[in-house]
Amino acid sequence: MFTYSLQGLELTAADTGPVEVEENETTARSAVYQFFGGWFATGPADLFDQAVEGKWVAGLTEAAALLPFGLDIGTVAVPAGADAASFTADHERVLGGAALLGGAGRPDRDGEIAAVRREYEYFGLAASDDAPRPADHLATELDFLQYLCFREAATPSPRLATSFRRAQRDFLDAHVLDWVPGLVGSAGADAGPLVGWTLGRLGAFLAADRAYVVERLGG
Amino acid sequence: MGDGGDAAPASAGDRPGGHATADGYRSRWTWERVTWGTHCLNCLAGCPYRVFTRDGQVAFEEQAGTIDPVTGGVPDMNPLGCQKGGAWSAQLTSEDRVLHPLRRVGERGSGQWEEISWDEALAEVAEAVVTAIDEDGPESVVFEESVEGGLLAQAPFLRLAALLGAVTLDANGLVNDFPTGQHLTFGKFSCASTVDDTFLADVLLLWHSNPAYTSIPYHHFISEARYRGARVVAIAPDYNASAVGSDLHVPVRPGTDAALALAMCRVLLDEDLWDRPFATTQTDLPLLVRTDTGRYLRQRDLRAGGDEEVFHVWDGAAGLTAAPRGTLDLGGLVPDVDGTHTVTLADGSTVEVTTVLAMLRRHLEGYAPEDAAAVCGVPASTIRHLARLVAGGRCKILEGFNGPKYFHGDLMERAMCLVLALTGNWGRPGTGIQGLALAGLDGYLLFSMKTRPGVEETARILDGIDQAMAQMRRRDPDATDEMLGNQLLALATSSGTSAPPVFFNYHHAGYDETWNRTEWSEPTMTKPFGDYLRDALRRGWWGGVARPGASTPPRILFTVGTNPLRRSRGGRANLVDTLWPKLDKVVVVDFRMSTTALHADIVLPAAMQYERVNVQYPITHMLRLAFSDAATPPRGESRTEWEIFSALARAIAERAVAAGLDEYDDARRQVRHVARLGEDFDLGGQLADEEMVLDEWVRDSADAGTLPPGSSVERLRRDGSIRFTGLGTFAPGLSVAADVRDDEVMTAFRWHVDRHLPFPTLTRRAQFYIDHPWFLEAGEQLPTHKEPPRMGGDYPLVLTSGHSRWTVHSIGMGNRHLLGTHRGRPLVVMSEDDAAARGVVEGGEVRVSNDHGAFEAMVRVTGRVRPGQVIVYNGFEPHMFRRWEGANEVEPGMVKWLHLVGKYGHLRYLPFGWQPVPADRAVFVEVAPVAAEGVAGS
Repeated sequence: MFTYSLQGLELTAADTGPVEVEENETTARSAVYQFFGGWFATGPADLFDQAVEGKWVAGLTEAAALLPFGLDIGTVAVPAGADAASFTADHERVLGGAALLGGAGRPDRDGEIAAVRREYEYFGLAASDDAPRPADHLATELDFLQYLCFREAATPSPRLATSFRRAQRDFLDAHVLDWVPGLVGSAGADAGPLVGWTLGRLGAFLAADRAYVVERLGG
Repeated sequence: MGDGGDAAPASAGDRPGGHATADGYRSRWTWERVTWGTHCLNCLAGCPYRVFTRDGQVAFEEQAGTIDPVTGGVPDMNPLGCQKGGAWSAQLTSEDRVLHPLRRVGERGSGQWEEISWDEALAEVAEAVVTAIDEDGPESVVFEESVEGGLLAQAPFLRLAALLGAVTLDANGLVNDFPTGQHLTFGKFSCASTVDDTFLADVLLLWHSNPAYTSIPYHHFISEARYRGARVVAIAPDYNASAVGSDLHVPVRPGTDAALALAMCRVLLDEDLWDRPFATTQTDLPLLVRTDTGRYLRQRDLRAGGDEEVFHVWDGAAGLTAAPRGTLDLGGLVPDVDGTHTVTLADGSTVEVTTVLAMLRRHLEGYAPEDAAAVCGVPASTIRHLARLVAGGRCKILEGFNGPKYFHGDLMERAMCLVLALTGNWGRPGTGIQGLALAGLDGYLLFSMKTRPGVEETARILDGIDQAMAQMRRRDPDATDEMLGNQLLALATSSGTSAPPVFFNYHHAGYDETWNRTEWSEPTMTKPFGDYLRDALRRGWWGGVARPGASTPPRILFTVGTNPLRRSRGGRANLVDTLWPKLDKVVVVDFRMSTTALHADIVLPAAMQYERVNVQYPITHMLRLAFSDAATPPRGESRTEWEIFSALARAIAERAVAAGLDEYDDARRQVRHVARLGEDFDLGGQLADEEMVLDEWVRDSADAGTLPPGSSVERLRRDGSIRFTGLGTFAPGLSVAADVRDDEVMTAFRWHVDRHLPFPTLTRRAQFYIDHPWFLEAGEQLPTHKEPPRMGGDYPLVLTSGHSRWTVHSIGMGNRHLLGTHRGRPLVVMSEDDAAARGVVEGGEVRVSNDHGAFEAMVRVTGRVRPGQVIVYNGFEPHMFRRWEGANEVEPGMVKWLHLVGKYGHLRYLPFGWQPVPADRAVFVEVAPVAAEGVAGS
C-alpha cells in the first residue's frame, strides 16, 4: 500500500478520502514526487548521511519500481574525501539562497506565491503561513504534485481522476517546468556529483512524467 | 477616451509656448500601470480594453485588439469596442455617481438624502428584511434580477436571495429580450453563432435590428461580407443607420413583418424554391394533423395507452408511421408531405389527417405577395425578389431584440424562422437567426450548488448531474443531453428563487387593470387577460414559480444595477403609484443615481468596472470570457456587490438572532437557517472576496471543459480574455448545438443538421404548428399575421423604439462625453409629413400622448422615418424628461395571453426562458406641439 505524506502543505478538509491505496503506476509517480519533495525538504547534513548509507538510490529505486516509463536512476558515488561539510557547501552554493524558490526569477514573486497558493487551495490544500518553506519552494511544489498523483489514484470518480491528472499537467506547465529545467541546466552543470545526481534525476523524471500525463490525457 | 481635463490641442510648432503645449498633451497620454478592462454593458459584447492609470486614477482606455484570428480567410474580431466603452472612464467621476450610502429623509422621490455609514445602512436594511420575513415570509422580499453589471454583480444578490428563500424576478421577463417566436419554433432561444459567421453569409437580412447602432464592435463583419459579395438587406420601417450601408432597404410597415415573411414563404413554395429535404428532415412540416380537431395525430389516438408525444408521418410505401423521436433523420421514410389520408383511431372510428405542410400551403393562400403588399407596405415585386434572394444562397437573419417587444413578435419570429426552414438556412456556415447569444460558464452555474470550494466538490456535483442524467435517459432513451439538461433545470427551478414577473406585476404592481383592458388587447381573445391568467394558474402550468402569490404582500424590493422606473412598461402609475406604497423598503444598489435610486429609501454605492474584478456574460457572439480588473480602488465608500451582500448577510443573521428568528420555513417548507446566513454566504470565509469567487468559477469551468485547462484569474489577468473550449454542461450553452473548435467559426445548430439531433420541442422537430388549444382558439397554430392590438388607444401614430447609438439602456446617460455626442436630452424622432401636419417643427417641444399617459420631449424631424411612425430611442432616464415622465408613460406593457401556456412540451418555464413578457413596440400615440396644448414648462 502507498501512503502520501505532506510536508509543506495541509489538507483544508477532513473528508478527502483514503490516505493509502494499492500501489500502481500512479502511486509510483506520487512516490517519486514524494522522494524528490523529501530530498529538497531535507537539510544537507542529513542528506549526506543518507547518501553515504545508499538511501538515495534505494529510495528512488523503490519509489520508481512501478513507474509507467523508464527512469535511469544510475548510481550515487560519494567522492573520496567528501564529508558532510563539503557536501553542505556544495548544496548551499548550488541550491542555497533563492535557487529553490519558483517565484524568485519572476518579476512578481508575490504574484507567483499567490498563484500557487490558489492552486493548492482549489485542490483542497493550503500552504500555511507557518509552514517550514514558502509556497513556491520546490519541495512544496513537488509535494503538491505528489498529492495530485495520489488523489488521482485514490479517487473512485473517473471525472475527478481526470481533474487531478489535468491539474498535474497544468501545474507542471505553469509552474514547475517553468523554472526547474533552468535550475537543472544551470545548477546541475555547476554542482558536485551528489547534487548533480539529484538534479539530473529530477529533470529526467519531470520531463518523462509530463510526457506521460499528456499522453494519458489524449495529447 | 479619458478625462482629458484642460489638455490643449497637439500642435506645438514654433509658437511661444508651443513646446509646453505639446508636452502637456504628451503628458496626458502617460501612465504608470496598465490593466485589462471590459464594461459589462449588457450589449452582448465583452470587448477587451487596456486601462491606463496614472496617479492612482484611470487616465484613459483603448481597445486592445488582441483577439487571435480563428481561421484563415475569415476576418478576425479586432478591434472590439465602441465609443461607449471608450468613454467608460469618464463615468467613474460623473456627477451622477453615488459615493456614500444614502438614506431618504424626505418623501420618496423628493431628492432629500442624508449620508449614513455602511453599518447604519446595512442594519436598517437587515432590520426591514427580518421584519418582513417574520411577518410575511421570505417571499415578501423581492429582488429584481439584473443583467447589467456582469456576473460578479449578479451572483451575490442571487446567492443571498437563494439562502433567504426570497423571490428573484426573472430578468428576461423584466427586460423582455425573450425571443418567444424562436422558442416556439426551436424550443430554445439561444441560437446565435459567433459573429464571424456573419462573414460567411451570402444574404444578410438585418431584420428587427440596427447593428450600426447596437453591434458596433461586430458591424465590420457585415461590411466585410459585402466585400465578399454578400447582399445586405435592411428590413425596417425607418431608413436607419444600418440601412445606409445595405444593398436594399425594405421599409415594412411597423408590426407587419409576419405578413412580409409569410408572403416570402408563399413565393418559395409557389415557385418551388424551397429546400424540400432540409425542411422535411428538420421541421414538423411532414407530421400529420387531424383535420377534425386540428391536433397532431398522436399514438394515443391510435391505440389505448399510446404515447401522447409520439407523432406520425405518412410514408409513401409503409403508410402511417411513427416519426422517430431520437433523430431528425427519417431514414428510409419518404413522407408524403402534401397528402390527405384516412386513419383508424383506437375506438375504431376513422378520421382524416393531413400534413402541416398541406395546412401551411392552404394558410399561405391568404399571403399572395399582392395581398401582403397591401398589409405590410412592401411592393409585391420586392417580396418576390427577397424570397428568390434568400433561396439563392446562405442566408442569415441578424435579429436583435426588437421583434420580441411587439405584442405579436412571436408570430413575426415564427414566420422569419419559416423562411429559413424553407430555404435550408440553419446549421450551416453563414446561416441561422442571430439574437440572444448565451454560452454556458459552468463554473458560474455550479457555484450555487457548492457547499465548499475546490475541485472535489465540483466533481461531486458533476458526477451527481451525470447520474441524474443517466437516470432520466433510462426513462427516455431518445432524449438528448440538451433535453435532459432542460429537465434538470426545471427541477432546480421548482426549488429555486426565480419567478416570472408577470404574476408579481399582475397581483402587486397594478398591471391587472391595464392588461384586462379589452380595447387594448388582441380581438381574438375570448375573455379578459385575467381569466386566462387564473386559468393557467388553476391548471398548474406555472406551479411553484408564480411567486410571490397574490396573498403575499411584497415588503422589500432590491434592485441591483437595474432601473425599473426607467424600464418598466407602464411608467410610474404602476410602480410608483401602486407598488411603491406597499413596500417597506426600496433598496437600490448602483453606482449612479438612476431614476429608481431617486425613488429609493436606501441607496448603496456600488463599485464600477475598473474599480473591481469582474467578467462579462458568457456569450456565443465572441465566445470569449472577457475580464475586467481593478485598476483603481473603488471611489468614495463604494463597495463591490460581493462585499455588500456578504456584509448584509451577516447583518441579517445578527438581527434575526437578536429577534429570536434563528430559522424559519420558507414557502416551500424548507428550513432556512438564517442565524448562519453569513457563514453560508461565503462558506465560512472560504470565499472571502470576489476574486476568489471568480477564480473558482473559472477553474470549475475549465474542469468541466468550458474553458481551456489551466484557466484561472491569473491567466485572465495575463491575457484579458479566454476563448471558450465548449459551450457547457447546461442548457444555455447546449442550446447552441455546436462544437467549439480552436480553428473554426462556430455556427449554431450544426448538431441538428450534421448529426440530426432532435430539437427540444414537443415534436422534437423545429415546430411551426402549435396545436395547443389556446393557440388553436387564437388561430395561431401556424405563423400568421395579426395587426398589433390598439395598445394605448385609437391614435394615428405608431411609437417604436430601439437601442440608441450612445448608450446601452440608461447606463451612459450620465457620461459627459457620450452626452456630448448627441443632443444630450430625450428626443422624439418623427417624419417630416407627420410633423408638418401637426405644426411640429424641428427642435421644438412635443407632447406624446395616448389613453395610458403622456410625456414631453424635443422633436427631431427627419425624412428617414416612415410617415405614421414615431421613434423614441431607448435609454433616456425619466428624470431627463419634464416632470420625470419618461417614454414608458405611454406604454401599457401589454402581455400576450398565449405566453401563459405551460406544460405543453417545450412551453414551460425555465429561468430566462419561456414566460409572458410585456410589449412596448407599436404603441398608438398622438404627437402635438407642447405650446398648442398649453402645457409647456415644468
